[in-house]
Amino acid sequence: MEFFERFAIPHPSPAIYASMVAIGLTVIAIIVGLTYFKKWGYLWREWITTVDHKRIGIMYLISALLMLFRGGVDAIMMRAQLAVPENTLLDSQHYNEIFSTHGVVMIIFMAMPFIIALMNYIVPLQIGARDVAFPRLNALSFWLFFMGAMLFNISFVIGGSPDAGWTSYFPLAGNEFSKSVGTNYYMIAIQIAGLGTLMTGINFIATILKMRAPGMTLMKMPMFTWSALITNIIIVFAFPVLTVALAMGTMDRLFATHFFTTGNGGMDMLWANLFWVWGHPEVYILILPAFGVYSEVIPTFARRNLYGYRSMVWSMVIICLLSFLVWVHHFFTMGQGALVNSIFSITTMAIAVPTGIKIFNWLFTLWKGKIRITTPMLYSLLFIPIFTIGGVTGVMLAMSAADYQYHNTMFLVAHFHLVIIPGVVFAMLAGLTYWWPKMFGFMLNERIGKWAAWLIGIGTCVAFFPMFISGLDGQARRMFTYSEATGFGIWNMIAFFGAIMLAVGFVLIVYNIYYSTRYASRDIPADPWDARSLEWATHSPVPEYNFAITPDVNSRDAFWNHKKNNQKLFKGDYQEIHMPNNSGVPFIMSALFFVFGFAMVFSVWILAIISAIGIFACMGHRSLEKDHGHHLSVDHIKETEEKLGGANS
Amino acid sequence: MNNDQTQPLEYSTEQNNLNILGFWIFIGAEIMLFATLFASYFLLENRTGGGPAGEEIFTISPVMLETFILLTSSFTIGLGVHAMRLGRQKAMQVFFTVTLLLGLAFIGLEIYEFTHYVHEGAALQTSGFTSILLTTLGTHGAHVTFGLFWGLFILIQIKKRGLTPETTNKSFIFSLYWHFLDVVWIFIFSFVYLKGMM
Amino acid sequence: MKELFPRKQLLGFVSSLILTIVALLVYFLDFSFTVGLTILLITAFTQAALQLVVFMHAGETKDRGAIYTNIYYGIIIALLTIFGSLLALAWGYV
Repeated sequence: MEFFERFAIPHPSPAIYASMVAIGLTVIAIIVGLTYFKKWGYLWREWITTVDHKRIGIMYLISALLMLFRGGVDAIMMRAQLAVPENTLLDSQHYNEIFSTHGVVMIIFMAMPFIIALMNYIVPLQIGARDVAFPRLNALSFWLFFMGAMLFNISFVIGGSPDAGWTSYFPLAGNEFSKSVGTNYYMIAIQIAGLGTLMTGINFIATILKMRAPGMTLMKMPMFTWSALITNIIIVFAFPVLTVALAMGTMDRLFATHFFTTGNGGMDMLWANLFWVWGHPEVYILILPAFGVYSEVIPTFARRNLYGYRSMVWSMVIICLLSFLVWVHHFFTMGQGALVNSIFSITTMAIAVPTGIKIFNWLFTLWKGKIRITTPMLYSLLFIPIFTIGGVTGVMLAMSAADYQYHNTMFLVAHFHLVIIPGVVFAMLAGLTYWWPKMFGFMLNERIGKWAAWLIGIGTCVAFFPMFISGLDGQARRMFTYSEATGFGIWNMIAFFGAIMLAVGFVLIVYNIYYSTRYASRDIPADPWDARSLEWATHSPVPEYNFAITPDVNSRDAFWNHKKNNQKLFKGDYQEIHMPNNSGVPFIMSALFFVFGFAMVFSVWILAIISAIGIFACMGHRSLEKDHGHHLSVDHIKETEEKLGGANS
Repeated sequence: MNNDQTQPLEYSTEQNNLNILGFWIFIGAEIMLFATLFASYFLLENRTGGGPAGEEIFTISPVMLETFILLTSSFTIGLGVHAMRLGRQKAMQVFFTVTLLLGLAFIGLEIYEFTHYVHEGAALQTSGFTSILLTTLGTHGAHVTFGLFWGLFILIQIKKRGLTPETTNKSFIFSLYWHFLDVVWIFIFSFVYLKGMM
Repeated sequence: MKELFPRKQLLGFVSSLILTIVALLVYFLDFSFTVGLTILLITAFTQAALQLVVFMHAGETKDRGAIYTNIYYGIIIALLTIFGSLLALAWGYV
């Protein structure tokens, strides 16, 4: 019995018990449903073992949307708790847990998979490739991410949630102050998901560098692919830092080492340092693909080519370097000297310049464009002003002397939400709506979509603008309540209304998916938006081999020129296509990682060793296995193409 | 699968080229991994708490021996790849086997070194310095150990399947990995040991 | 390429041995900290470059541009991280 005590929740409440029941019932319902409808085989063959970048993209997308709701519920609970002074809806421990998991879930398990979902689905199509460079590795990336996410999410019903903030600063995150296994979950679950992300990074760099269609030089790549390339470079060089930091944190907690302790020569500030050496590039990992989406959406609906293509590329290349040079601005107040703070103030202000260049490029693209206000375009237009406010307040925070006033107040919270929400969330929703017909073969309802966009756009402003004021008035972040005398009440009440608007907006998006799945017309052209890049040159939904004939590219807007100037895109005849085989190993290996992670969290060493051996056995199996893939015959391709309405060459 | 006859076997297919480039990118990630460890090492180097400092526990002879063993193994795997490109399977197998044996000797010495440290009162839990020292060395050692198994699996495949585009590709990538570990060791040797004993 | 005698590898090995011995001088002779560290920096980076070019064949295919960019970028970011961390947490900490 003693063995099982470790799995108990240290700080239970009726809400958590209710969640346990809900999770249990959902799992049972899924199992019963799959068995009743005899879908186990289908699920295994078509999804769990798939190595198709498109299906993996869709699985990332579903995970991201699920996590958006987990993180969103956390957010609503926080805003509700703070809506009135001296509120007792949540106690301090629950509030700590909720703001910690909100941050981690939104950044690592919502925003990251969302951008990787779009990259997975769109990048190979935009460059005219059959798949990514390493399809099997891609499946492993997804399943590692998924298992990491699941491990993190069971924390609140088994053993206790992480409660040291999404940054988990030591010594707070050390054993002395964080006694539950929550922070173990944080360290290990993010580690597992991070490994998957690193593999994605390697995979996509190789794909983009070497698998582009003939004629597509680097300077003819669509901007979203460019942003994906730069993002993945940052991923490859930033994530190992997190890997090391998390490993050291894990060892501090499980093996009593002295990396981040306050005694015996440990250095607690080292954690903050390493966390942000990864953490600041991470910000750009999230924002660059979003910029890529806007750079696709805005030219499409302004019906003009992207203004300043070269400066767009160069600004991203510069960000790729500068993003590694600014991390100290996250802890200006930690006590380092004026010289250090000045250096990092300047680099931080410098990085605003390439970002500003991009804003102007989008504005010039819109200038004299024939603008069509569709849902994706609406998100883009809402993004520009709101993001600019978030960005400008960021430059305010970059001034290290002034930062002593803003640091760790709601002003900071307002700043980064006003950057991340319009920057990443709007972009992902725009991308989702924009590429939805490509993924699923029907369009999302525009009327509901626009309602949602307006609600989310206005909701963002209402929720976060008041925090600038309460922050300057001195409201600290992460405080679970405040007294009436502070006068913060009114601002937090307004913010709560904003949060409700956001929630309604997101519910509308779900309703839109449901509504459109049921009622939208399936009879749409392959290129419903009259767009410009290659992904629209194949059928919707896309056949497994992407393009029956590899496209021939000779300009930046190859597909546009193909449509408007009659340039031939598909030359030659059908040929046999080589495709990779499906495999269950990535799933099994990741499941073993889940078991390994779980065993580590609770220090069940025997189980950890057994699952680690299993993981190595999977690698050995992969090494010895012969896997040459399979070929699709010309007849098969012909048949599929005819069924889909013929190659549009 | 198109075979390009003008290239060495390990480069002969499209997928092979992708694999090699992919591995180079992975090496980029490994550079950052070890750079983070080095950054932490330099910061924690003098934070010995109540434990011993570097110069009190480092001894030159095992370190020198480890260095020469690893340098030699890097040379022999280079010869292995050279033999592979000449199509000499037997010679290649011999060189790869020698490489792995040298790797094994390296690991043996490192284990000896670790027990020596613990004996001297420098365990993983002693201080900030010993934690990062043993973690940095251990991360490198774990890479070498992983390499031993990986190399063994490749040798088995070469023996069973001969020099094919696939096996040569794997062998070449493995040689990249091994040389990279040598590079990391050079930095550990210079900036952990020699700098500590200077 | 087709020659039987591995001249390049042998040369690489001999130079790496020499560089290691030079580095060891730091231990056996009595240099000041600055001189010693300078020697170590030179020998370590030369050896790394040697491995990269001689043994790892970094420049042998048409992907050399990508490979070298990747490695240079990695080294730059690595050095920035190491020295930046030292600056923020040790040297600049007054």
